[in-house]
Amino acid sequence: MARAGIISGPPGARGVTAAPSGGEDAELSDDALVALFANGDERAARVLTARLGPKAYSVALRVLGNRAEAEDAAQEAMLRLWRMAPDWRPGEAQVSTWLYRVVMNLCLDRKRHGKRAGAVPLDAVPDPADPGPGAAERMQDGARTDALQAALLTLPERQRQAVVLRHIEELSNPEIAGIMEISVEAVESLTARGKRTLAAALAGRQEELGYDNG
Amino acid sequence: MTMVDKDIEDSILETHFAAARCANTDLPAGLEARMLADADRVQAESLRVGEGALAGAGRWRQLLALLGGWPAMGGLATACAAGVWIGVSPPDFLPDPVGLMAEQNSSVNLLDSYALSSVLPEDG
Repeated sequence: MARAGIISGPPGARGVTAAPSGGEDAELSDDALVALFANGDERAARVLTARLGPKAYSVALRVLGNRAEAEDAAQEAMLRLWRMAPDWRPGEAQVSTWLYRVVMNLCLDRKRHGKRAGAVPLDAVPDPADPGPGAAERMQDGARTDALQAALLTLPERQRQAVVLRHIEELSNPEIAGIMEISVEAVESLTARGKRTLAAALAGRQEELGYDNG
Repeated sequence: MTMVDKDIEDSILETHFAAARCANTDLPAGLEARMLADADRVQAESLRVGEGALAGAGRWRQLLALLGGWPAMGGLATACAAGVWIGVSPPDFLPDPVGLMAEQNSSVNLLDSYALSSVLPEDG
């Protein structure tokens, strides 16, 4: 696993040609890392992958519900990030917002073109066994996550994207509006309708998932 | 739905969302390696293109140095502009090249009315 997203140097650096080494551990901005990558710094790619890769993969996994498809979408999104790096204009948009938008569009494309043969559904991959303390709680969390995922997959595409970005990725409504290229009001409408549908889908499973009725 | 029901519903949904947020979504090792391999490849391609552009720029610099640098290029450009201007609007003491081009060739035979024998002395 690559080193966590820490590189020494001033945040928000512009026009940097090499990542400073040693000394104080200050996080570089995504903008600065993209500039470093464009200038040939190999460590910038590792930091960006560690920082943004999981976001791309996580959101693709929730929206597509399929690990293989999510891996492909996340890899493609990161590839587009690498290719875009020399042309990136710092300060115009957040790199993460751009990346989320790319992932969402790739997810839409994949849904339009149908599921790939041989892809493994999310539920079909067992979570690793954990015999340690708190395992029961983790299993229950796993069951709740699976139930939520199954319910998410019943939502229309745009509702699912909005709900995942808002309630799992915890982005703000304006950020989601920027990613989905719709108004904030439309985001609010999509998430509200999505949550109503999710609540209805999960209502019959409360006891099974460890909730007390009432 | 009453307000209490709505609160319970929101609370339950939030529990699901929290569980999903805590779920392990680290990058699979193979995926991380593929992303980094893509990065290496794109970076290498980009640097190669950059070096090619620099090499091209180097050839231009060599040509410039051969001509004598920017001052010589300035003189050359001025001379070219002056030549064009003189061609378009020549000074009075020079013939108008446009007029010269419009002129038709004509020839006059000055010897037509003279017999050659009257001009050349006869021998003996």
